[in-house]
Amino acid sequence: MSNQKKRNFQIEAFKHRVVVDPKYADKTWKVLEHAIHEIYNHNASGLSFEELYRNAYNMVLHKFGEKLYSGLVSTMTSHLKEISKSIEAAQGESFLEELNRKWNDHNKALQMIRDILMYMDRTYIPSNHKTPVHELGLNLWRDNIIHSSKIQSRLLNTLLELVHRERTGEVIDRGLMRNIIKMLMDLGSAVYQEDFEKHFLEVSAEFYKVESQKFIECCDCGEYLKKAEKRLNEEIERVTHYLDAKSEIKITSVVEKEMIANHMPRLVHMENSGLVNMLLDDKYEDLGRMYNLFRRVPNGLLTIREVMTSHLRETGKQLVTDPERLKDPVEFVQRLLDEKDKYDSIINKAFSNDKTFQNALTNSFEYFINLNARSPEFISLFVDDKLRKGLKGVSEEDVEIILDKVMMLFRYLQEKDVFEKYYKQHLAKRLLSGKTVSDDAERSLIVKLKTECGYQFTSKLEGMFTDMKTSQDTMQGFYASHPELGEGPTLVVQVLTTGSWPTQPSSTCNLPSEMSALCEKFRSYYLGTHTGRRLSWQTNMGNADMKATFGKGQKHELNVSTYQMCVLMLFNNAERLSYKEIEQATEIPAPELKRCLQSMACVKGKNVLRKEPMSKDIGEEDAFFVNDKFSSKFYKVKIGTVVAQKESEPEKQETRQRVEEDRKPQIEAALVRIMKSRRVLDHNNLISEVTKQLQQRFLPNPTEIKKRIESLIERDFLERDNVDRKLYRYLA
Amino acid sequence: MPRASKRKAAPASSSSVTAPPPDQSRSRTAKATSKTRLKESDQIDNLFDTYANSSLGQIDPEGIETLCSDMKVEYTDVRILMLAWKMKAQRQGYFTKDEWQAGMKALKANTLLKLVKTLSELKKEAEAPQNFEDFYSFAFKYCLTEEKQKGVDIESTCELLKIVLGYQFPSQVDSLVEYLKVQKDYKVINKDQWMGFLRFCKEISFPDMANYDENQAWPLILDNFVDWKKQKSGGR
Repeated sequence: MSNQKKRNFQIEAFKHRVVVDPKYADKTWKVLEHAIHEIYNHNASGLSFEELYRNAYNMVLHKFGEKLYSGLVSTMTSHLKEISKSIEAAQGESFLEELNRKWNDHNKALQMIRDILMYMDRTYIPSNHKTPVHELGLNLWRDNIIHSSKIQSRLLNTLLELVHRERTGEVIDRGLMRNIIKMLMDLGSAVYQEDFEKHFLEVSAEFYKVESQKFIECCDCGEYLKKAEKRLNEEIERVTHYLDAKSEIKITSVVEKEMIANHMPRLVHMENSGLVNMLLDDKYEDLGRMYNLFRRVPNGLLTIREVMTSHLRETGKQLVTDPERLKDPVEFVQRLLDEKDKYDSIINKAFSNDKTFQNALTNSFEYFINLNARSPEFISLFVDDKLRKGLKGVSEEDVEIILDKVMMLFRYLQEKDVFEKYYKQHLAKRLLSGKTVSDDAERSLIVKLKTECGYQFTSKLEGMFTDMKTSQDTMQGFYASHPELGEGPTLVVQVLTTGSWPTQPSSTCNLPSEMSALCEKFRSYYLGTHTGRRLSWQTNMGNADMKATFGKGQKHELNVSTYQMCVLMLFNNAERLSYKEIEQATEIPAPELKRCLQSMACVKGKNVLRKEPMSKDIGEEDAFFVNDKFSSKFYKVKIGTVVAQKESEPEKQETRQRVEEDRKPQIEAALVRIMKSRRVLDHNNLISEVTKQLQQRFLPNPTEIKKRIESLIERDFLERDNVDRKLYRYLA
Repeated sequence: MPRASKRKAAPASSSSVTAPPPDQSRSRTAKATSKTRLKESDQIDNLFDTYANSSLGQIDPEGIETLCSDMKVEYTDVRILMLAWKMKAQRQGYFTKDEWQAGMKALKANTLLKLVKTLSELKKEAEAPQNFEDFYSFAFKYCLTEEKQKGVDIESTCELLKIVLGYQFPSQVDSLVEYLKVQKDYKVINKDQWMGFLRFCKEISFPDMANYDENQAWPLILDNFVDWKKQKSGGR
């Protein structure tokens, strides 16, 4: 800036800054105020944005920001008060529409005002910690309109009224609702929640409380659930259409609580339509619905599971203890399998394969299957039946399916060693009588058992198969080396390794001379090739095919047991034989002999013998004749096959006793194993270790374990610790 | 077998031999006392010979009976058993010379009179808490007359219980004996069970048996006993 030379120039540029014309501010403000009025009166088109902006800018620049701001506040406020009146004046339906319209207007106005006052917004306001224009506009709207005493409750009530009407089936203007709600949301979440959502939830709770009470009185469980589901979906849809997304979870909780959680017990236990009935009738859809609804509430699924479990256990318990059922083991097991299939289906189709439900199913089965001590025996009989005839003509895949199902039941058994004992017996009978439908099926099951229980479980069973094969080879060798025997009776011998087959005490029996000679020849042949072995004939396990010609020339081929053969051969040399004579000649023990004679003299269709007197029981004084009048429509007559049957009481006791005896060394072996590795162990831990080790085969009785421990102490394998009486010590 | 010690404790002249610490003091072997010592051990030997069966070289049951009647003590008196314990007698009904000598010396008795006097001391000693278990255990072993015998029959066990535990735990012993006679599970009692009885009397409150836990390592026979007793008294 030059000074002396250019004194004649007076730069007046800064004059404006210095001059503080009080009237200036007023004048400028008036301009702006007028503009605001115009804007609110929808007359904005005549305004010059640039001029207004400049005015505002200047005011702020000249430090009149305060005036501008407070002017803005008061102007807007007064406009809003007017607007408020016009909204209040609206009647009925138009209330919301008016509100909406005014809101839109306000927003537009606010937008323009903000643009005009942008400089203030950016400078004066932040540095003076004032509320920005836009926000100010919203707050003023909130305070003057929404919270005005005449509008606030009316607005809320109107909204709630509309929701209620929609819930009762009317159609409402969703667009309008959406706009109003959005307005509340724009005003801040506090406004939305305080002025709407909170009340909305309360009222909804009340509504659903009442409705659920009404429904539950008149609907059955399935219908109720349908309605509940419908309501739930409605609410979700409502939120999507016109509420804040965050409200969804809140309103659904309300519905869930009022309609489901509060009525859960009543629903589940509803007579004739509750959970149990659904299970019984396989109502997959209803069950699925129940599952989906209940999983939303705390303990919902737990409730279903508990009821299902107790029902299943009760049903299962009845199944296994019903005396009628117990008469037919095959039927018994089939019912168990059917029950399992049923529930598998339910869990699959309705409970989306929920693992906790599968576990509940497993636990329940484990519980009731072991209530009946004969379950292991019956399962073995079931398998026996299938392998004898049930699986005839069934495809390979289906065979696998059935066997897998049986394995599932097997897994539930606690006393697997009892099963093993019976399975061995039944398998032995099947193999020896040649009555198995499919060798592959037999082997397949053995493999499954091995996978489940380990090699030891099945090694003996496999030994039995090996024996059968070896015997075949032996027979071939025998006849190859004795070609002269081709003419006489054919002998088929199965050589059984003692350890592998179930032990049967073999009793005396005098074979007819033709047979005994043949047997001797075999014996010397066998011992010739296998030195150091001993053979003992098991006459109680054999059978024979005999050709017989009766009085009128009828020819039949009889398939009989060895005992029966011995008896019948006697009649080649005698017409009449008394019981005593038969007994003497055959030396078969009395109970077996009586049974054998009974099956040949007292059974219709198999009475190849005639007895005097004709009574059903065998008396010591009875006399026997060949029944010349014997007739049968079949050429081949089967008398007395050795079929596996459900054991009689005394047999059952015996088997049970043998199983118990077998368990003792197993318990002891486990005890020694554990103590050897641990050296010192206390009583309770020892018991639990032993139980764990043995649980694959059976559940040991703690009392029995104690007995074994004491036995081991007596035999100096273990000792009690001197100081701490709970400890056991291994004695090397 | 402990070798018969030639050491003596207090001078032999004092007749009251108070409760041991036995054989603690090493006596000064003065020539004067050696004579007395010899004399005493002679006395012990002589006493032995009085009762011994000469062909056996041991005191046999008959001899013990005579000894008892001389001492005016019942044959079945528990103190005789305790005497056997003190002697560490190996075979029921017999005392060997070594055992006799050891026992008498331990009791500081060389005459019959002294022996009688020491019996009451002996009883106290055996009953002392630190010794009783040892005595109790010995009592059982003493009844195993056959080689390799592991158990004592029920009848004898009952008698033994009465003698050994009867005065300390009368009600327990009565109940136990009653039970042992009616139960059928065991015909013989083994060492483990025998020791269990003592533990039971010492640890379990009676007759309520409230602190008995059958899930603990008690011998099975005691589990059964507790069940039986509870059923008898009508409790479940």
